[in-house]
Amino acid sequence: MVERIEGPKESAVLSEALAFAGRGMNRRDFLKLAGAGAAGAALLGVAGCGGGGGGGGGGEFTFSFGPDPSGTLQELVDRFNTEYEGQYTASLREMPADTGQYFDQVRTEFQAGGGDIDLIGGDVIWPAQFAANGYILDLSDRFTEEDRQAFLPGPVESNTYEGKVFGVPWFTDAGLLYYRQDLLEENGFSKPPRTWDELKEMARTVQQSSGTQYGFVFQGADYEGGVVNGVEYIYSAGGEVLDSNSPDTVVVDSPEAIEGLTIQRSMVEDGIAPQSVATYKEQETQTAFLNGDAVFARNWPYLYALVADPEQSQITPEQVSVAPLPTANEGDQSASGLGGWNFMINAASDPETQEAAYEFIRFATSEEQQRFRALEGSFLPALQSLYEDQEILDAIPVIALAPEALRNSKPRPVSPFYSDMSLEMGEQFNASLNGEVSPEEAARTLQGSLEGIIQQGQAV
Amino acid sequence: MTTPVKQKKRSGLKEEFGNPERRTAYYMILPALFIILVVAFYPITYSLYLSFHQANINAVGNFVGLQNYILMFQNTEFLDGLRNTLIFTVISVFFEFIIGLAIALAINRAFRGRGLVRAAILVPWAFPTVISAVMWRLMFQDQVGIIQYAATSLGVISDPILSNQTLLLIGAILVDTWKTTPFMALLILAGLQTIPGEVYEAARVDGASVWQRFFRITLPLLKPAILVAVLFRTLDAYRIYDLFWAMSNRELESLSTFVYKGVRISQLNFAVGNAASVFIFITAFAIAIFFIKVLGMQTSTEE
Repeated sequence: MVERIEGPKESAVLSEALAFAGRGMNRRDFLKLAGAGAAGAALLGVAGCGGGGGGGGGGEFTFSFGPDPSGTLQELVDRFNTEYEGQYTASLREMPADTGQYFDQVRTEFQAGGGDIDLIGGDVIWPAQFAANGYILDLSDRFTEEDRQAFLPGPVESNTYEGKVFGVPWFTDAGLLYYRQDLLEENGFSKPPRTWDELKEMARTVQQSSGTQYGFVFQGADYEGGVVNGVEYIYSAGGEVLDSNSPDTVVVDSPEAIEGLTIQRSMVEDGIAPQSVATYKEQETQTAFLNGDAVFARNWPYLYALVADPEQSQITPEQVSVAPLPTANEGDQSASGLGGWNFMINAASDPETQEAAYEFIRFATSEEQQRFRALEGSFLPALQSLYEDQEILDAIPVIALAPEALRNSKPRPVSPFYSDMSLEMGEQFNASLNGEVSPEEAARTLQGSLEGIIQQGQAV
Repeated sequence: MTTPVKQKKRSGLKEEFGNPERRTAYYMILPALFIILVVAFYPITYSLYLSFHQANINAVGNFVGLQNYILMFQNTEFLDGLRNTLIFTVISVFFEFIIGLAIALAINRAFRGRGLVRAAILVPWAFPTVISAVMWRLMFQDQVGIIQYAATSLGVISDPILSNQTLLLIGAILVDTWKTTPFMALLILAGLQTIPGEVYEAARVDGASVWQRFFRITLPLLKPAILVAVLFRTLDAYRIYDLFWAMSNRELESLSTFVYKGVRISQLNFAVGNAASVFIFITAFAIAIFFIKVLGMQTSTEE
């Protein structure tokens, strides 16, 4: 998931400058100016979109989401259109697979004054950023307290900004600890580790006796996934990045957060994780684990399905099990980093269209449709009740193995300035893991730069 | 452009617009001029304007003078990017030039299969940069990478290449040299072929040694071609973006990657990112001027 940067070659200064015309100023002004001349018509075509919200009345609306290889998304839309024939019509608009580019595109449309998208299927880190600018609709009245009870708490939290709810959880994702059950058992460990110290102990023993190359692999590179890993260590030691009660208060320079980062760094220092883990993303983690080169791996639920595929994996599902991520101290609550996707409604669409879009949300998050997407596409449902559904537990074993981890996932800091914070966190977590700065220094630097971002953001 | 030409133009201004035929010609190119104004001149001017204002993506705020530029020079990521870009540009262009020149001299001779060699040498250059960057990244990688394996076995390095900034920069220089030397060689070769053989014959008759022929004939006559090739490569290297990000997974900063982060990812660093793009524009322009004025590069064939 979450791979942010892979921009096309933007070779010339000129093209950078060109980009400004479309986004620096607001696009309408640009179009007005361009439209004044003969070339206006042509440019309008190039710049695309432009004007205000909405795919028109009559219950028609546009729903945006990334490519879906499973085919269940189109099926879902078709089902909706059949069910509400003559009343509502959803049309699917495919967006870039890369989360960062998708975000950038939606944000650009919003800035241009609404855009054509009425219903957005968006990443869990987006709601606050859109909500702070008034781009998406406050759903607190529609998505009531009672409705929310049925969903997992983490995803609901990711949609909550300043006490209001701006989105509805669709499907979820969470960091899990994969481990080699066979190797652990051979060495006399009957249970997965509950604390990081136990993990190190087990990894060391197994590495010595079985000669496994790596003890533990995870995502340590400077990118969004590295941010999730970093905050997981901080959460696991009881730390926070932003105060969960007042998101304008940065609390990352705390003994708990430093302890978390210290544990992360110690994985490398103690030889449990390779030094190069600071360059690992999901792909590298996956390769090491599937090749049987690692005792433990932190990854998303998708990895479990790959273990069962002999073409991709040297190890079999019998050798592997899944557990919640360890904690710093015995008895602490394990916290997995939350991933996944939510529904949000464009605030600039007309009320009739918004109503239709909400009807779609209701439909897509219903038990029946969530079960369908879980069974056919392995998308982890956001509804609590489905975690006790035997059919789903059979189809997606990873849910049965670590239900606790999936339920206790915790979002990354919720802030309207998340993009900027993510860049800083990615850099500092990576530098600390790499040993370029001490965990204390990383936390202190981060405290300063995050406070700076909030200050700067509020000033604009 | 020399002075007499300018004078001629000035005195001909009236005639230029007085002549109905010429006037029609100007009318005909007006739409093209307008488009250039809209798509090139206006955005550049606007980003210059923005760089003096407090601005985010949505709105333009107060005039802040040079503050964005001051913030830019205080930004450690920008300074990293600037340093990396300068080191990268100077070293990679230097090696590309030396090796490119050698290759050009070698394949300028007549030998069997020369056409094939000339085509084959262009292969690295023909790869899309992103693809060769990812390919090299795999070779630098610690689990499967042959270079990391070889270097570690020989005891040259102990760190993983991909998590060490210095090694990454060296790697980037290496990859760029591998990739763009052929381009340099091709441009220089084109220059070599314009040197008439008689000049060498005459020199030989006069008893000039190989080195004398090279330094007194080849290099001076090759200067225009070399300047064009080096200028192209310098500007290209100065704006490096794709190689750095694809190869280092965005961990190696350059000026262009800094701009990208500022204006496309960040919501708050927009003004500083924009100032950096103006900085790139102006400095790249200055490099071009330096080549033309100081090194005496010819910009047209008029003279």
